This record gives sequence, structure tokens and C-alpha cells, in this order.
Amino acid sequence: MKPVLEVRGLGVSFGVLRAVDDVWFDAEPNAITAVIGPNGAGKSTLFNLISGQLRPTVGRVVLDGADVTVRSPHLLQRAGMGRSFQITNLFFELSVFENLRLAAQRLESKRRMLLPVGRPGPARSRVDELIARFDLSAKAGDLAGGLSHGEQRRLEIAVAMAARPSILLLDEPTQGMSHADTLDTARLIRDLSRDVTILLIEHDIGVVMDISKHVVVMQHGRKLAEGPPAVVRADPAVQAAYFGHA
Amino acid sequence: MRDPSTVLVRPVQDRLTLAMRASHVLVAIFVALALAFAAIGVAIDDTFYLRLATEALIFSGLALSVDILLGYTGLLSLGQALYFGLGAYVSALVLQRVPSFWAAMAAALVACVIVGALAGLIVYRVRGVYFALVTFGLAQVAAKAVYNTRELGASDGLIGIPVVPVDLGFGTVQSNAPAGFFLITLGVIVVLYLAVAYLFETPFGRVLIALRANERRVPFLGYSPRAARLAAYVLAAVVAGLSGALYPMLRGFVSPELLFFSTSGNAIITVVTGGVGTLAGALYGGVILTVLKSVIGSWTPHHLVVIGLLFMAAVIFLPKGLMGLVRPWIERLLRRTAR
Amino acid sequence: MAPFLDYIQFVLAPQMITGLSLGVAVVLVALGLTIIFGLLDVINMAHGEFYAMGAYLALALGAAGVNFWLLLVLVPLIMVPIGYVVERGLIQRVFNSPDRHVTTLLLTFGLGLVVEEGLKIVFGPNTQRPPTPISGAVEVLGVLLPNYRLFLIVVGVAIVAAVALVVNKTRYGAIVRAAAYDRNMAASLGVPVSRVFALTFAFGVALAALAGVLLAPIYSVFPTMGRDFIFLAFTVVIVGGMGSIMGAVIAGLVITQIQALASLIVSPVWGDPIVFSVMVLVLVMRPQGLFGRLGHA
Repeated sequence: MKPVLEVRGLGVSFGVLRAVDDVWFDAEPNAITAVIGPNGAGKSTLFNLISGQLRPTVGRVVLDGADVTVRSPHLLQRAGMGRSFQITNLFFELSVFENLRLAAQRLESKRRMLLPVGRPGPARSRVDELIARFDLSAKAGDLAGGLSHGEQRRLEIAVAMAARPSILLLDEPTQGMSHADTLDTARLIRDLSRDVTILLIEHDIGVVMDISKHVVVMQHGRKLAEGPPAVVRADPAVQAAYFGHA
Repeated sequence: MRDPSTVLVRPVQDRLTLAMRASHVLVAIFVALALAFAAIGVAIDDTFYLRLATEALIFSGLALSVDILLGYTGLLSLGQALYFGLGAYVSALVLQRVPSFWAAMAAALVACVIVGALAGLIVYRVRGVYFALVTFGLAQVAAKAVYNTRELGASDGLIGIPVVPVDLGFGTVQSNAPAGFFLITLGVIVVLYLAVAYLFETPFGRVLIALRANERRVPFLGYSPRAARLAAYVLAAVVAGLSGALYPMLRGFVSPELLFFSTSGNAIITVVTGGVGTLAGALYGGVILTVLKSVIGSWTPHHLVVIGLLFMAAVIFLPKGLMGLVRPWIERLLRRTAR
Repeated sequence: MAPFLDYIQFVLAPQMITGLSLGVAVVLVALGLTIIFGLLDVINMAHGEFYAMGAYLALALGAAGVNFWLLLVLVPLIMVPIGYVVERGLIQRVFNSPDRHVTTLLLTFGLGLVVEEGLKIVFGPNTQRPPTPISGAVEVLGVLLPNYRLFLIVVGVAIVAAVALVVNKTRYGAIVRAAAYDRNMAASLGVPVSRVFALTFAFGVALAALAGVLLAPIYSVFPTMGRDFIFLAFTVVIVGGMGSIMGAVIAGLVITQIQALASLIVSPVWGDPIVFSVMVLVLVMRPQGLFGRLGHA
């Protein structure tokens, strides 16, 4: 099967520091690919390279067969990349409904940019669908800033996938969540992967191993190992670097 | 356990639409009061107050353009007078040659789109404080240039702008008819308000609102923040320019003072006192400020002290201005009737 | 060769020296502005009015018989409590509002209006000119330079050096820089952050007033005098990098030289547009200005 996202020899240097160095991997369609690694391994930098916030020094990013390496974030978004943030990045003073509507409005035709927002249409039905799927119906009219942390994290994912991206980049989606919320979110992400390709950065290894099809392990900006969860878990180098025992 | 009664209440999901409807109610009240004022003015054969009110409305239009940027897009312009003055000068130049209301308005519109887009190419790169200071600088330079250009009358401005007949299709109003031109101005400002209010209820306008709410997220909606900023800037330029175009019709002259910082500053005071991010606040603010100026001005020539203090109090205690006190109340009323 | 040398001596040199004294004046006004921004993240739109207050205080006290040299110390000292109260009573109130830049800018804009109008009420709208404290002139590089301008250049350099020394080398400066870098961290280390902020604001205000005392004999005293300088001072602060003392000094001197030399070629009316173009060019190429912020190395 043709991968949705191909990361080819991606790297970036800040002065002498090579924050990300020669990273290669593919993300298969309708599956979860996870990037794990200890703090400072370069995971978030890698994400910023892929989603266009940072320009790579070397390497290419290929999305659905097209080279998208130097596109700015908004063009990448239009090309089918959605992303969430480790630090919740919502429109806090707007309602949950409006956060989702804004994120989904690209589904409408261009002509409708200047027609009233209240009309039914693809964006409106997408929002209804997301509100139901992410269990936010009781909160739809609340301000995003007034939600609980867990709800905000859920909304963060919903916003990222509102425009039906072909790949969804999730940056530590369970960051700061309670154990129960983490499990719920993991289940939700696994369900989502039936319709969308997911690239995930996660700290919680348990979550990753349970739901991912493919795991990429990073250390010091480089790829240490990759493969199915069971294989990666058994890799001695990974054991030494990540699990802290040889 | 959820109270069963709350389930019956459909949450008003789009607070922005609700807030805009509340603004519509406030503007409807404003228009009703203005019409009553005009009727009284005609009945007692007044000229002075009608013309004063017309001027207040014209400056409300400038304040409206400040609110597009400050209240909705999150950009403080310290130089909206540039476009107000541009509209006024272009309108004056046209009226000196062709006595046509519509030609003057069209020329002001075109000029503001062109200049706004050109200046926008500088301005759209910066935000926050830098946006404020660059807009300030642009207006300052334009004011200096006009002040020193003999062809534009230099420090005297352009005087002797002829009275212009406003052809409305069903009849004609002369620009020196106090009540008639008051109504024309009211019409123009209300049309500008409706156009702006409509735009903020479209996906385009919501991207501008998103820019104010959290600019860092906007690229991940698939929109370029810079393009959105440019669009907001040109829109505000047009609104300021069309308001300014009415000025020479009312006063019969234009002067470089229209481009000075005090003009931009007054518009900011108007919006902040009236209510940032409400659109209606710009209209009410313009009238309130004019009334304050003439009332306090009748006691002391130093009315700016009082206005400055009121403005500071509004910044500290009323972040949403006077409309911030009234509008939530109307929103609640609307929510109840929508149920 | 000779016409060329004549050009330098009789045209270029006088322009550059006049430009230098204006440059020092602008740097003095911009200094307080950049310090206040660097630490508090506040655009002080009332800065020009504090500068005017300094000039008027000097005028009033001078008329009451206070010696000019004493004024140089007395006026800034009078302004310190005023600046402190303004920061504590007004700016602190909106310091934590969601959009601090815009809110504080609006607030200080309002304050500027009130102060300017207040000066009109107390001192009247007319232009006044205090006597020049130092008379006579010297010849510098064949250019006749009033002694007072020379004195201004020397004193200006001394003040800038002293301020840079205080900010970069003293314990107070270290506290200020720490608070600018990370407010919460500084607070957790026991720095009385809000008092430091208020004192620094007062310090910036005192500097503006000192500039007012020094410049009054050259540029005269009138209620709107603050406005004339403030655009130039803001430009200097932006070009130099908001919050950078070094940047303000260099930008202040370079911009005034550009303006002075450009006026040889085009009408001086275009001085402002030229300054503005420099600002835009720098903003487009280096949005953070030429130098970094205070406390951010």
C-alpha cells in the first residue's frame, strides 16, 4: 500500500546542534504510526518540520505522493495535513461550536466564503458529526476556554481533524490527562484511525504500544529503531535507551 | 445527574451570531433615535444641531473602521486618519470638477482600495505593537506630504467645495440641506455598518475574528494570517475612506488636520468608550463624544482633560465600553426569545 | 580637490554636527522609552508628555530662581514619585489584561492627552524659551558650535553610559534584567517584581524629564512639544530593537545622520518620510530590530 506520508532523510541544524538528523520513515494509510523517545529526542522538532513551522536543512516531506517540503503551514493544511498541539492551542474566547466550525469551513466551496455562516452545508454537518463523535454536545455553546483540561484536549483533536485531513498529526494528545481520560482518548484515537492516517507523538508508552501499528523510536535527534510495537519493544538498543535498563 | 429542564434548552451554539444580533438591536434603536432627532430638527427648523450630528455620524464611520481592526481582528491602528483624509481629499477633488455624489463616493472607494492594498503590503508583515507604530508612521508621512503639497492647498487644505445634489433615484437632496444630508449620512453609515456586520457573519469574517482570538492557530485552519490581515486592513481603509468622503460635502472644505494623529486618536477614543468589538459602540461612541465635547466645551475650553480621564476610566474599568454594559443584557433577552 | 574639501568643511561637517546634537537629544528621549518597553513590555505613549513635564518643571523652577545645575538633579527626582504612582495606580491595573500591549498603549495614550491638556491649563498654550545656561560658541572642525550644544553632546554621552552601566553592571540592573527575562522566576527568587517594575517605570519617566530639562533651551517649551519628538523616538526604539539600550543609541545616531545628510539633497520636509522608510526597511528585514531585547541577550 502506498504510504500517505513519507519522511525522507529529514534533518535540521541550529548552529552546531543537529536537533533532527537524517530521519526516514513512512506512515501507512488508516493506521497509527507513533514517534516515541525520551525528552529532548527531537520529536516535537520533527513534527514542526513535517507540519511546515520549521524549514528542514536537508531531506524531504512527501504527502500523498507530492513533495511538500517547503510549503508554509496553511498550504500544508490545504494539502491535507491536520495537526494538534502539545500545549492546547484553541480559540479560547470562542465557543466549542465555533472552534469546530472555523476548522471545518474549508470543506465549503470557495464561493461560500462570503455567504452567511449559519446556513446548512458540508461544514455544518461536519461540526454536528464531530460534536457527537467527541461527546461535546453538552458543551457546544460553551467557550473553549471554560472547558476542563480533558475536554480541551479532546476538542484539540477534533479541531485538527475537522477539515478531513488525509493525515492527522497528534502532538502528545494525552498530555496532562488523568489515567482514565488517557485510556478513553487512546480508544478514541484508535477509532479515528479507521478513517484517517495518524502520526502520533506520545510520552505514554503504554498507550503507544497498544494502539500503534508502527513505532519509530528517536534518540538524540536520530532514529534509533522502527517496526511493529512488539519488535521495537524487544530491541535491546531501545530497551537501553528508553526503558532505562539493558 | 443532569437537570432534565436544562436538556430542553438548546444551547445557543454560535455566540458570535448572537452578539451580532444584539448589535443589530442596538443599531436599530440608534437609527430610531436618529430619525426622531431629525424629525424634531425639522420641526423646530434647526440647522446647527443637525449639522453637528451629521459630523458626529461621519466620525462614527471612522470609528467603525477602527473597530474592524481593533475589535474584531485584534490590530490597533494609530493611523486610520490616513484613509479618512484620503477619502475626504479625493471626494473634494472630484466635487471641484464634477458635482456628483456618486462619483465622489466611487472615487474615494477606488482610491482607498488602491492605497490600502499598497500600504497593506508593508503593514501586513507586522502585528501587535509594530502594526500600531507602522500605521502611525504611515499616517504621519501622508499628513506631512499633504501639508507640504501646494496642489492640495498645503496647510490651508481645499476650500470652496460646491454644494452637491445627491441623486437618490426617487428624488434629489442638496448636501447643504441640514436634515436631508443628515439622513443621507445616516444612510451611508448604516449601510457601512450592515456591510461590515454581514462580513463578520461569513467564513471570511470569521477568519479575521480567529486572527484576533489566536493568530498562531489560524495557519492550521488553512488560512494565511498575513492575507487575512491584509484583507482586514483594506476593508477598514474603505470604511474610513467612504466616511471621509462625506466630510467635504458637509463642511465645504478639507484640511490636513483630517490626517493628523488627533483624528486617529479621536476615533480610538470613540471606539473604546463606545465599546470595542461591538460595531454599535462606534456609532453610539461618536454621538456620546460629540455631546460630551459640546457640553463640557461650553464650560471650559479644556474638554480634552475630561475626555482623556473618561477614556482612561473606560480602558481600566470597561474593557468592552458602554456597549459592554448593555449588549450582554440584550443577548440574554434574545436567547430567551429564541428558545 | 579644494572644492571638495570646502564642501566637507562648509556643508557636510555643519550638517553632521547639527545632526549629532539632534541625535543625542533623540537618544535621551528614546532611552527611557526603550527601558520601559524592555522591562515592562509597555509602549509608553505618554513618554513625550513626561518629557514636556520635565521641560515645564525646569521652566517654572528656573523662573523661581533655581539654578540650572540643580534642576538637572531636582527635576528627575520630582518625576520619580510621579512615575511610580502612575505605574502602580494605572499600568498595574491593566497589566494582566489579555492584550497588554494594546491596553497599556491605550491607557498611556489617554494619560498623554490629560497631561498635555493639563500643561496647557497650568502654563498656557504659548511657546516659551528658557535662557541658555551656557553661552558662547567654540569652533569644532571649522564649524561654529554653540557651547550649549557641545555640553549637551557630552552630557548625553555621559548619561547614556551611566544608564548602561546601571542596567548592565549593578545589582539593581541585574534584578531588573532578571525580572525582564522571566517575571515568575524572579518573583520566586524573592525579587519584589511589582516594585521593581514601578521603579523602573519611574526611572524611565525621570530620564524623559531629564531630557526635557536639557533640551528646553534648544527646542523651546510648549504643551505639544512631546509629540514632535515622539515619532522619531519610537522609530529609534523600533529600529534599534525594542528594549535595547545599545540599539537605541546606534539607531538614534544613525537615523539623525541620515536625516541630516538627506536634507542636503532633498527638502527637509521629507525628513520624516525618510526616517519612516528606514523603519519600514528594518522591520521588513529584521522584525526584532537591530539588537535584541533587554534581558534576552
